[in-house]
Order: sequence, then structure tokens, then C-alpha cells
Amino acid sequence: MTATPGGMESQLVIAPMVVVLVTAVGSLLLSRRPRARAAVSIAGGAAYAIAVGAIDWYIVLAPDAPGIATYQVGDWPAPFGITLVADGLSAFMLTMVAVLGVASLVFSTRHLPGGGGRSYYFPLFHFLALGVTGAFLTGDLFNLFVWFEVMLMASYVFVAYSGGPQHTRAAFWYVALNLLASAIFLLGVGGIYATTGTLNMADLALRLADPAAYGLDPVPVVGLLGLLLSVFAIKAGLVPFQFWIPTAYRAAPPQITALLAGATKKVGIYAIIRLSFTVFAGAEVAVDFPIPLLGLSIAGDSPLPFVGAALFLMAGASILVGGIGAVGRDSMEGVFAYSSIGQVGFIAIPVAIAATTIDPGLRELAIVAALVYALNHTLAKGLLFLAVGAVRSATGTSRFADLGGIASRSPPLAIAVFVGSLALVGIPPLSGFFGKFLVFEAAAKARAGSVLVLLLVGSLLTIAYATRTWNRSFWGAQTDAVETSTVDSVQVAVLVLLAATIVAVGVGFEPVYAFAEAAAEAALDTEGYVDAVDPIDASELDDSTGGDH
Amino acid sequence: MTTVIMRTTARAIVPIILVVAISLFFEGHNLPGGGFIGGVLTVTAFAIIYMAFGLDFLERGILGRDVDPGKGPSRDRVVVAYRRLFAYGFAIAVGSGLVPLLFGRPFLTQTYESLEGVPIYGYLGIASALVFDFGVYCVVVGGLLTILSVVGAE
Repeated sequence: MTATPGGMESQLVIAPMVVVLVTAVGSLLLSRRPRARAAVSIAGGAAYAIAVGAIDWYIVLAPDAPGIATYQVGDWPAPFGITLVADGLSAFMLTMVAVLGVASLVFSTRHLPGGGGRSYYFPLFHFLALGVTGAFLTGDLFNLFVWFEVMLMASYVFVAYSGGPQHTRAAFWYVALNLLASAIFLLGVGGIYATTGTLNMADLALRLADPAAYGLDPVPVVGLLGLLLSVFAIKAGLVPFQFWIPTAYRAAPPQITALLAGATKKVGIYAIIRLSFTVFAGAEVAVDFPIPLLGLSIAGDSPLPFVGAALFLMAGASILVGGIGAVGRDSMEGVFAYSSIGQVGFIAIPVAIAATTIDPGLRELAIVAALVYALNHTLAKGLLFLAVGAVRSATGTSRFADLGGIASRSPPLAIAVFVGSLALVGIPPLSGFFGKFLVFEAAAKARAGSVLVLLLVGSLLTIAYATRTWNRSFWGAQTDAVETSTVDSVQVAVLVLLAATIVAVGVGFEPVYAFAEAAAEAALDTEGYVDAVDPIDASELDDSTGGDH
Repeated sequence: MTTVIMRTTARAIVPIILVVAISLFFEGHNLPGGGFIGGVLTVTAFAIIYMAFGLDFLERGILGRDVDPGKGPSRDRVVVAYRRLFAYGFAIAVGSGLVPLLFGRPFLTQTYESLEGVPIYGYLGIASALVFDFGVYCVVVGGLLTILSVVGAE
């Protein structure tokens, strides 16, 4: 058994996961001492942020950084063991989660939502973070499935957390839908294993790039990728798989919904980008998929055009359904839940452009656009859902009918929400402006006129619902519920800090852009990914004694 | 369900189930078996006891404690113990994964020690994976029994 090439970079890869695991154990053991548990949770959150920051700097951003690092869990070499891989894309995603996760964690220590399972709130929070972290770091398709399940287990409990009839009903649908999705995921994974004989992502990319050398028939992979894509679309909440989002987001505590919208949704987006570009882009499969009604046909020599076409349809519909749905809601979290559906469409459109174009420059630009937009959505939507939590813990309600005049009651809270809404709309110099700008630029460069129109309509709808939410709850005369409320100062401080982050990302956009560019390069660099993981050729082992185990 | 037939059968099969569960647990690291399946089998033994003798039997009949009938099931001392078993088991599993880091090996690396000339057995292989498996066993037993006794009481 060969030792993994050591080095600090390699150790860093697993650091966030170990930190979350230990924090989860600690908070579980301290279930009798709420204060100690909250302290351990905060310390764990801080350690997590430091670990992710170290990955960002030492693996991706430092001048002499390797750009990618791997960790062979249990000292089993790839492709037999589980490989963890941290590259630019993983690091970018982890950074978004770390920022929002710490904010939500600090927020949660102030006002734990009621319900029966209060003592399990923090352990579950850490398990949710563990699932998200594992999904971003794993280099193995089956292990990705496992982390999805870890993430889901925790989120099931959170959706049912408040324990009322409507929460139980929402949780029931959520569980039923996700069990179905997991079954489809497993089916796709099993099919890919049967077709290619491996589930290590690097090994998979290697085999699909040269199927003849491995004696494979890669054609079924296109359909299996379609299966996986539908599962990831469910997680991301793209139309036609969006229907679970409004009820589940309304049922979960707002500070958890912030994570569901900001982090677990992005896992779906991440999985689409990672599998489509890093793993399947090099697959040698001739695709010819006629669309009889339009007289078009999708053709190419990799599964990407197929992915692109499917994503265009889903993303376009998401923008319209989410935007139109958000305009008519009667509560803050209702608006933001529908808004999440629309915003994920904005993230998926550039991914679709990247999948259909053959110009490598445009492909990279489009992925950068998707990542920057995802970052903005995580920050802005996270802030807005946390604001729902702050409003609800202060006034006891988040329905527009009972709200009004919060701006005069708590100006800092209003300013934070104002910044978050403007970031969602995309006003310079906030982070949202650059997200929207890059998405429009990618669409313009792709000469996709209809997409531009769609994006424009989506942006107008965003302005409409953001304005309406602001007018209904923050302006006007104070209602009774608002007049008698006291806003928690720590919660408002968290919101103001998040708002400051949004402004900072917009004002100091250059390093963020460089980071997103490194992430996009990593997503497209199949060769670098395969080299770093360096899977052993399993067929060679058959000739010898079958390895040294 | 608390018929004479059920009780008599339970007396006979519960020890057998437990022995099988323990043997599955011990051979798990290199044969089919392990902490998870051993744990599930152990829970089925408990489930049969619950079905044959009632939910209070463990506390009253075996541990000899007085049970306050009006109490919520989640406050029973035995349920608290299940929960603690879950937490400790999880700590053991994670801790066993962390130990190799002290020796400069990757997370979750396992090894084994062979003992020759052991009385009766002759040869005995002790795998470090057993510690991780024990953690898993505790998590499964603690978690499932918590669910079983709380949901069963409702």
C-alpha cells in the first residue's frame, strides 16, 4: 500500500469535513448544556470558515498554489477508495457555504425556532453542512449519492421541524419526492457503473475519453447522464421539478431555508457543472437528437449539446414560473421561495450556454457568469431569508397583511434587506450587478436573442416582486405587529454584515472574478483533474497478483 | 401480541438472535456482516421483547425500576440511554477515524494485528476496523431503539 503523497495541501482537503464531523459529535454530546453546545457550534463554524479559507489560499489562490489537491481516504488508492478532490470549483462553492453557514449559525444562537426537537437543532445543522461539504469535495459518483443522502436526512427533519400539520404535510411530500429522486440517482449511478466499470469521476472521464481502449460502449451514458441531470434539477429546483420548493421553504425555519436556498440548491448546480464539464465533456459519443416540431436537431460528438438543450428549456421555464409566481405571493418567504426558482434559472442559463457553445473562451466566460451569479444568489437570498427569520422572531409573522413600516421601526434591518433586494435585482455596484452583467454578456456573445429577451423579462419580474415586498412590509405606516416588536440586535448585526459582504464583493470585484475564473478553469480542466487524482488502471492489476491488499 | 405462545417463542429466539448479531458484528471487517447489520439484528431482538412483553418490560422487568405511567416516552430513562448510546457511538466512529491522523496516515485508515498461538483459537486477527464498526453498531442500536420506543409509545 503506497502512502498518499502528503503535504499540507492534501491534509487541507479533508479539514472542513473533519471539523464539521467533530463539531457535530460535540454538539450531540452536549445536548444537556445548551450554552456549551451553542459555543461549540460557533467555534466549529469559525474553524470551518478558517479551513475553507486555507483551502482557498493554499490550494487555489496563492501565487505558487497547485490549483488542485487530493486526499485518498483510508489510504486506498484511486479508483478503489474514495478520493476527495479540492480544486477551484469546489473551493469557490465551499466559500459561499462557509460565509452563509457561519451567518446562519450565529443567527440561530439568538432565536432557536420552537418545536419538539430543539436539542437536535445544532447537530442537524452540522449534518446538513457535512452533507453539503462532502458533496463539494468528493471525487466519486457513489460517494456523491451518499453525501446527498446525508444532506437530505438533515433537511427532512428541518422541514418537519416546527411540527404543525402543514409542516408535516410539506415534509411528507418532500420526503416522498426525494426518495424517488434518490432511487433515480441510484439507478443512474448503477447504470454508469454497468456501462463503464468505474464510479471514480477521474477514472470515468479517462475511460469515456477513449472508450475503445477500455472496450466500452459509451452510448448509454448519454441517457444515464439525463437521469442524473433530472435528479440534480430536482435538488436545484428547476422547472418542471420546482413544485416542492414553496411548501418546503415555507415549512422549514427561515435560518435553515437560507441554507437550503443558499447551499443545498448550489449542490445541484455544482453537480451539473462538475459532471457535465469535468467528467462527461470529453466523452466520445456522437449525439444526434432531432426535435421534429422545430425542425432542429441537437448534434455533436459529446453529451454536452444534449445537456445544454435540456438546461435551456428548464432554465427558461424556471425564470418565468419563478418570477411570475413570486409577484403574487402574500408572505415574505413565499416571494423569496418563488424567487429562488427564478434565480436558479438565471444560474442555469449560462451553464446551458457553456454546454452548447464550442468556443472555449465563451464556455469559460459562461461558467464564470454562472458561478458569480450563484455567489450573489447565495449571499442575497441567504440574507433575505435570514431577514424573514428576524422579522418573524420580532413580530411573530411574515405575512404582508400584518406587516408594514418596518423601515421606520428598525432602520438597520431595513437597510440590510434593501441591499439584499437591490443585489437580487442587480444594481451596481453590488455583487448582483456583475452576476447579471456576466450572464447577459455570455448570452449576447452566444448570439442568443431569445435568451436575452427571456433574461430581460426575468429581470423585470425580479424588480416587480422585490419592489412589492419592500413596499408591503418595510414602507408605509407601522402595523400593530410591527409597532410592538423588538428586533434582536445580534440578528440585525448578522444581516448588516452580510449586506456589507454583498457591497464588498461588488466594490472589490476583481479578486472575486479571479477566483471565479480559477473555478471555471478547474471545472473545464478534465486533464488536470485526472492527473491530480491519478487513478490506477484497474485492468493492469488483473495481470499481477491483484494489488497489494 | 402478549400471548403465551409469543412469550415462549421470544424467550427461545431472542438469545439466538443476539448471538448471531454478535457474530455478524465480529466478522464484519472481512466477511459479510459488520456494525450496521449486527446493530439492526440486535434491534430486532429488542423489538420482539417489546412486542411480547410490552414497552415497560425493559425498565420494570429487567432493570427493576419503577415506571411512572403518565410520563412521556421520550423522558424514560431507558430512552435517554438509547440517545446517549447513539451520541457515544457516533463519537467512537469519528474518533476511530481520527486516530490514524496521529500516525500520519489518512483519515479512516485501518490496520490489523495477527496474534499467533492464542489458546483455543490458535490464530486471532484483530482489526482496527472493529472500533469503527463498534461505533456504527452503537449508532444503529441507539438510533433505531429511540425511534422504536418513542414512536411505539405514541
